[in-house]
This record gives sequence, structure tokens and C-alpha cells, in this order.
Amino acid sequence: MRSPCSASHIVLRDVAKSYGKGDNAIPAIESITLEIARGEFLSILGPSGCGKSTLLMMIAGLVPPTRGLIEVGQRPVTEPLTDVGIAFQQDLLFDWRTVLGNVMVQADLRGLDRATARAKARTLLERIGLDAFENRHPWELSGGMRQRVAICRTLLHGASILLLDEPFGALDALTRDQMNVHLQNLWIDERPTAVMVTHSISEAVFLSDRVIVLSSRPARFAYALQIDLPRPRTVEMRDASEFVRFQHELRQAIEMPQ
Amino acid sequence: MQDVVARVAYPILVFIILVLLWQWGAERALFPAYILPAPSTIALRTAATVPVMFGHAIITTFEVACGFVLAIICGVFLAWMLAHVRVFEQAIYPWLVFIQVLPKVALGPLLVVWLGVGFMPKALVSFLLAFFPVMIDTLVGLKSVQRDYVFLLRSTGASRLRRFLLFQLPYALPHIFGSLKVAITLSVVGAIVGEFIGADKGLGYVLIVATGSLDTVLIFVALVWISVLSLLLYALVCLFERIFVSWHAAARAHELRDAA
Repeated sequence: MRSPCSASHIVLRDVAKSYGKGDNAIPAIESITLEIARGEFLSILGPSGCGKSTLLMMIAGLVPPTRGLIEVGQRPVTEPLTDVGIAFQQDLLFDWRTVLGNVMVQADLRGLDRATARAKARTLLERIGLDAFENRHPWELSGGMRQRVAICRTLLHGASILLLDEPFGALDALTRDQMNVHLQNLWIDERPTAVMVTHSISEAVFLSDRVIVLSSRPARFAYALQIDLPRPRTVEMRDASEFVRFQHELRQAIEMPQ
Repeated sequence: MQDVVARVAYPILVFIILVLLWQWGAERALFPAYILPAPSTIALRTAATVPVMFGHAIITTFEVACGFVLAIICGVFLAWMLAHVRVFEQAIYPWLVFIQVLPKVALGPLLVVWLGVGFMPKALVSFLLAFFPVMIDTLVGLKSVQRDYVFLLRSTGASRLRRFLLFQLPYALPHIFGSLKVAITLSVVGAIVGEFIGADKGLGYVLIVATGSLDTVLIFVALVWISVLSLLLYALVCLFERIFVSWHAAARAHELRDAA
């Protein structure tokens, strides 16, 4: 384990989470120790209901751990972080706002300068191919387009940490592949530290610098894999032998008897 | 076109037939005029009394408006408190239910003793009747927010007021407007009943005076005004709903289309 003064952006030490109290407590996460470097893209793979999302929310300071220590930028997390952008499985768009308004809501909630934010919002929407839709409302968009708007909202304020809670889980496979490319390109622009929870092995390999696998409930650290493919990664690389080998390795780690 | 005929022309046709039957019955003296005066008599009297009745209608409208607006402000504010302040919910909610169970109209005489026969007690009875549905529906709207929305908002570090204005209020607005349609009619009931108890002007006062002198025609004239007032206020709420939550109807229409 590295010393506390190292460059790790996010540090989890023996973090556990259980629900309920006393003898009736149900353990969700048994013990996780993890260090995430600044600018790293880390994916967390694991079976459904193993507490992956809870882990993200604990890093965000939105759910307190039952035990253990979480540090962000060498400071213990005791209240909700604000230097963070969170994307959820549902896009959580506001029906009463336009596409541009939905990206801008991040600035409005934070009280950021509107002119600067609007310029950035337009840039993000353009980068992700939605500039022609900025005056439409969410209900006029497809699921993939809606989630792209949500990603722009997540990135608007240039947070140093991105927390992605299965953001593409509800999308079909083809849309999902496109979304992965979009997300990677936007992430490369500013290189925030990103932690993503996902069910998709190929998505994890495509986007990540490192993938960790959690065991089924109560979650424990089961396996870690460094993905040293060059960036920017392209859709064609999914067929490359290295890519396939990484996927294979992760699938074996998940199916390993625990 | 067929649709418009069915939705507008048919109900009007029913109305015309009923009025004609009523007029026919009155002319044949099938029922005594002091019980059920002829529609023509009522119409003539209504036309002749417009200036006087308009004055009374303005008074009642003002009472309704004050009670109703107060009910919206208090209802939304209390709902927000109930949704966010735990202790407040535990301590106050049972009492709010208790007050709702009371026949609030029965508080009218007490309000007259306290506040006199002027404007205040009417507005207050109107408020008391309208307040509860607004509060309950707003509370339902505020509480139906999914957990992830709460996480999203908290991660921005926005103040409670900012979160309320930018998210919670618009999110609950469709619920709030649903309750306002109920509340506006209750507001009218409250003001009229308030005037029954003690007043020297307003449409409820006219009703009481007309009953005292067995002036059935005047009773009907007052009823015409009260009905029109109720309808107009209801239409006004619907108009505001269209303006402020048009997005909700549009979103729902798309949801239904996608589900089909």
C-alpha cells in the first residue's frame, strides 16, 4: 500500500457497508481497499446487487460507510462532494427544460456564470452530436440521445471526479458502443478521475485503464486487471486479439468460484 | 370536426332541451312559480339586476381569490416542511389530519365572533377548505422524487431554496395543479358559506336575503352568478395549468405513444 502522501486521488481503506443494525444487519460490502490515481479511468465489474452502486455513492459522500475510511484528495469524505459529476443509469432529465437547459441545470444549481456555462454546454452538445437538438425537450429524444444529454450535464462544470453508475445499462448494444466512444472522447479532453460501475465486460475493457472485479454479496475485492491499450481507442479495436484476451480474462475472473 | 360537434354541440343541445321543457312546464303551470320560476323570468331578472349583482360578485371573487392564494402559499410551504423536516412531520402532521377531519365550515361562527362580519372570516373559511388538498397533493409530488434525483441535487452543493425552485417545485407542479382544480371549487364554497354566517354583501348574502323574503327568482339569479363565477375560476386554473405544465402533458403523450 502506498503512503498517504502519494498521488492517489481517491483512497478507500477497509470500507464496509451493511444495512440494518445489530444481529439483523445485512452486509452489502465486506471490505474494499482501493487506490485510484488522478486521471485514471477505473471500472468496477460485479454481479447485480453486489453493492457496486453503493460504493460509488460512498465515494461521493452521499452514503456513509459503516466502517473504514474514504479519502478524496487526502481529505476524509464526511459530507457530499461537490467537485464531482455523477451519471446514473436513468438519465434523470428534467422534462420542463430543453436539451440545452438540462445541461445548464448543472450550472444553475451551482450558481456558475451562465454565459461561460452556456458556451461550454454548446461545445459539449456539439462534440456529442446533439447541437441540432438544443431546443428540443427530453421527451422528443431517443434513449441514447437522452443519456448523451445527461453525460453533457455530468461534464459541464469540469469536475475532477466522474462517477458513472451504469450510465448505458438501459441502452441497446449498438447504441452502447457508440456511447462508449463518445464518453471516451469527452473524458480525454479533461482527463478527470473516472470511476464507472458496469455489467458489460466489453464496455469496461474499452473505457478503462484498470478494471476491478467484485465478488457477489457481500462484495469483496476479487480481481484487478490493467488495460494497457493505447488511446484513443476505436470501435475496430474491439476485435483486436488483445482486446478479446482482456475480455476473456475478466469473464474467467467473474465466473471463478468464490 | 365530428369530434367538436360531439364535445361542444351535444352538451349544449341537452341544455337547450331541458330549459325548453322547463319553460313549457312553467307556462302550463305544472308547478307553482314560487317553487320553480320560469327560465324566462329568471333570465329577465338576471339581466335587470346585473349592476347590483356584479358588485356582490366582485366581493365574493375577492374573498375567494384571497383564500385560494393563501391556501396555495401555505399548502406548498407546509408540504415542503413536512417533506424535509422530520420533527415537523412527526409533530404537526397528525394535527393537520385532525383539522382536516373537522367540519371546517363549523368554525365559521367562531371566526365571525373573532373577526367580525367583514372580509376576513370569509377569506379564512375559503382558505381552510382549499388548503388541505393543496398540501396533500404537493406532499405526494415532493415525496415521489426518486432517490437518484436527490443524490444528483446534493452533489451540486445547491442550497435548499435553489433545489426547491429549480427542481422540486417544477417537479411537483403537475400534482399541485391537480389539487388546485379541487381547491378552487372548495374556495368558492368556503366564501359563500362564510357569507351565509354573517355578511352585508356578496353572493352568499344575496342568497340569504332572497331566502328570507321567499324571493325564489332572486335565489336563482344568485345561483346563476355563483355557477358562472365557479366556472370562470376553474377555467382560469386550467389556463394556468396549460401555461405552466404544458411540458407534462406533452411528455405524458409521448410516453403513451411509446408504450402503444
